[in-house]
Amino acid sequence: MNDAKENPLLSRPGEVGLVQYSDFEYERPFTFEDGQTIPRFRLRYETYGRLNAKRNNAILICHALSGDHHCAGVYSIRDRKPGWWNNMIGPGKPIDTNRFFVICSNCLGGCQGSTGPQSINPETGKRYNLDFPFITIGDMVRAQRLLIDHLEIPGLYAVVGGSMGGMQVLQWAIQYPDFVRCIIPLATTSRQGAQSIAFNEVGRQAIIRDPEWKAGNYDPDAGPRVGLSIARMMAHITYLSDKGMERKFGRRRRDSGDINFSFDVDFEVERYLRYQGQTFINRFDANTYLYFTRALDYFDLPETYGSLEEAFRDIQARVLVVGFTSDWLFPPEQNKEIVQALLRQRKQATYAEVPMDFGHDSFLVDAPNLYRLMVAFLWEK
Amino acid sequence: MEKLPDKRTVDMRIISDWIEPDSSILDLGCGRGVLLEYLIKTKSVFGVGVDWNMDKISSCIKRGVPAYQGDLTEMMKTFPDKFFDRVICSRTVQELSNPAAVLLEALRLADSVAVGFVNYGYWKNRLHHLISGSHIPNEVNTYEWYEGPPTHPISISQFEAFCDRHRIRVTRRVYLRGDWETPCEHLHNLLCGYALFELTK
Repeated sequence: MNDAKENPLLSRPGEVGLVQYSDFEYERPFTFEDGQTIPRFRLRYETYGRLNAKRNNAILICHALSGDHHCAGVYSIRDRKPGWWNNMIGPGKPIDTNRFFVICSNCLGGCQGSTGPQSINPETGKRYNLDFPFITIGDMVRAQRLLIDHLEIPGLYAVVGGSMGGMQVLQWAIQYPDFVRCIIPLATTSRQGAQSIAFNEVGRQAIIRDPEWKAGNYDPDAGPRVGLSIARMMAHITYLSDKGMERKFGRRRRDSGDINFSFDVDFEVERYLRYQGQTFINRFDANTYLYFTRALDYFDLPETYGSLEEAFRDIQARVLVVGFTSDWLFPPEQNKEIVQALLRQRKQATYAEVPMDFGHDSFLVDAPNLYRLMVAFLWEK
Repeated sequence: MEKLPDKRTVDMRIISDWIEPDSSILDLGCGRGVLLEYLIKTKSVFGVGVDWNMDKISSCIKRGVPAYQGDLTEMMKTFPDKFFDRVICSRTVQELSNPAAVLLEALRLADSVAVGFVNYGYWKNRLHHLISGSHIPNEVNTYEWYEGPPTHPISISQFEAFCDRHRIRVTRRVYLRGDWETPCEHLHNLLCGYALFELTK
């Protein structure tokens, strides 16, 4: 009991507090855009707040590449690390659980409880591994829609997400135009550009060239740990910014010591990246990393629909796109293009740009400016 | 300084009369979206504003006004010719770094461009300048010289000359006295405090 008092994530007002995940089992075949079918799938998800009597206060959160369904609250009184968007979601927070019913699911193809490459293929009794169909952003969204239908929610008040989540958000409004009242894509793009594909390819090569990858058929307890951690280290750099890293690490030495004349960790930034790589391999599946980065690479709304304007033709949702000045992975320009095309289609679209030094990850950190924009948009009558 | 009705609503009162219901409007330097909110509510226009200031965009969002944060010249380039029915440039033109380019671009985007500005030729402004030799404060330009953006003082005769030079036709002129309320009948450049123009190419 004392633990609960000591853990501010439980005792502090305005926290979601203790949460549990649920599993949605879809027992029918699901066909992917690549033409392949799996006999059934599971999506792991969490919800916070209450669905109102009219069932019209649901907000779906879409997670990014390395995220999952656990976006707010803690699992136990000893849990010191809350869900990945705990600063954004909770009673009185920008996505206010006193008002909204918040849902977040682990994407199809994921590795945090949803069906993905590491799941057992019921038809063979073995792991799918690379037999898992190629997954697209559209597939992720169709699977989420089945979950929302299962929850008997007749329409979503909002769909919100950044990065790969932002792609899903756009896809939601395009694919189900009369189902979504408003959307907030953050730090995202309508079309994965060459630079982002290039970074993803380096990450994939690090995994694939790790001998432990074994053509995707690695033992779940082993696997390409070196490759995956290198992929994560490199990707993590793309989520930060020059300025942000300089401020956070500068040239600070580990243990404030002198230069060691070695290739071991000398600098704090090295220690940080290695730590990021190490923690990632304990929670993320290498094959899911391959599949998700491919889903990002294949995301190209102009190509899929003929043009970005054509993609947005039927959108009915109000849109707020937010870009971040220091994001060089999905820079402001790419976020602006979304709004420009929406406006050319005479849609209700707003573009806001938040000046922050945290790079692409800006949307995840404590940002009062972003909160103000989100609150204004979500509370607008 | 005289303070009759609300001087902040002068453009709203005049320009909204010019606007057809259901038309599409671009508001350059939309600020907090007050004018667009009014037009959306009273004329059910499709409206979008542009402003560089995030706090102002935030206020637009609160009002339910679609807005674009960024440089207005860059934003205007993303629309095809005559995409809007009307572009509004209310109390913005004096702060533009390249007013001619912006007004000509606005005339590419719409058949009709509404411009409202404080007349620096107004006798009180001349007098103020003569006596104090300093920056002229008013309801549009509320900043001290060291706070605000660079400001071009524009007079009505200068603006007319600009339109002539660029073969811009003026289809409507509204001259208001120093109260920004009473119509100003004569000697506009001297007696008019606030002027509104409707331009076409």
